Amino acid sequence: MTTAVRKTRMAVAGAAAALFLAVLLSPALAAAQEFQKVEGRLADEIPAVPFVGYAYGFIWVAVLAYVVYVARGLNRVNSEVDELRRKLDGGGAAATREASRR
Amino acid sequence: MRSLGAGLAMTVMAALAIGGFLVVPGLIVSAPIEPVMGVVQKIFYFHVPCAIMLFLSTFTCAGGSVAYLFRGSVRGDRVAAAAGELAVLFGACVLVSGPLWGRKAWGVYWQWDARLTSSLLLFLIMIAYMLARRYGGPGGKRLAAALALFAAVDVPLVYKSVDIWRTVHPQTTVVPSLDPRMRPAFWASFALIMLVWGLLLALRMRLEKARTALGELRLEMEDLLEARR
Repeated sequence: MTTAVRKTRMAVAGAAAALFLAVLLSPALAAAQEFQKVEGRLADEIPAVPFVGYAYGFIWVAVLAYVVYVARGLNRVNSEVDELRRKLDGGGAAATREASRR
Repeated sequence: MRSLGAGLAMTVMAALAIGGFLVVPGLIVSAPIEPVMGVVQKIFYFHVPCAIMLFLSTFTCAGGSVAYLFRGSVRGDRVAAAAGELAVLFGACVLVSGPLWGRKAWGVYWQWDARLTSSLLLFLIMIAYMLARRYGGPGGKRLAAALALFAAVDVPLVYKSVDIWRTVHPQTTVVPSLDPRMRPAFWASFALIMLVWGLLLALRMRLEKARTALGELRLEMEDLLEARR
């Protein structure tokens, strides 16, 4: 028997042994890669109520702030409109005097 | 007479909204707790209506912008300005309430998935709309109107993103398949948010109208002063 044939036989035997071992150990390997069941409910570790409170709080504070912003703008613009109308209705004379004073 | 009717309508809407504020929290609390997500799912009752209002505001803004761009409608521009601000307001509500829900449900505040990213993009386009109106100079309103059209194109993408791409966000089937015991709370919340949206739109349009009147009066005053010199 030549050295090459002997080496080939040894390689085949080694591969067969490796394959046999892999088949033998595969359930253990597969089990090692599977997800493990977690005891208890992890989601419960973070309390939910504060998140609900923050979400609702933000929405209503944002809406309220927007109402205040628009209402204040409306009051300011309306008072300016009234003042200008008064000046225009009261005669341009007063406005002219005011302008010349400036 | 017309402004009297509008004032009456606004008063009725405000009264209904106050009634809604008294009734809706009770309905939300009494709705059953969702078995998988638990109490945090109750964010859904305002998160989803706010998202719908974001879409509605964007479409309204785009509609007003089309009227302004192609017909030169001042009223269209006024509607667009009011709706654009509401899109930013409700967009902020969606982008704050959603991550708070996500932190509990997914363990993280933010995921760069299709629904969240496209919603953020829509919000940023609407902010760009407001900035273009405010700081865009003489052609700013036209530029902003064009941006509103882009935003309207993004809306269907945001809506369908959960069906087209793999995402952690719940799909569009959530509302149609909602537990019948949760429906009264959801639709009552939706009606309340819709009412608030209508009130805010009317109020903001009134402000825009008053600003236009103020501008015209200032011009009139300047003309008068010029004539007297």
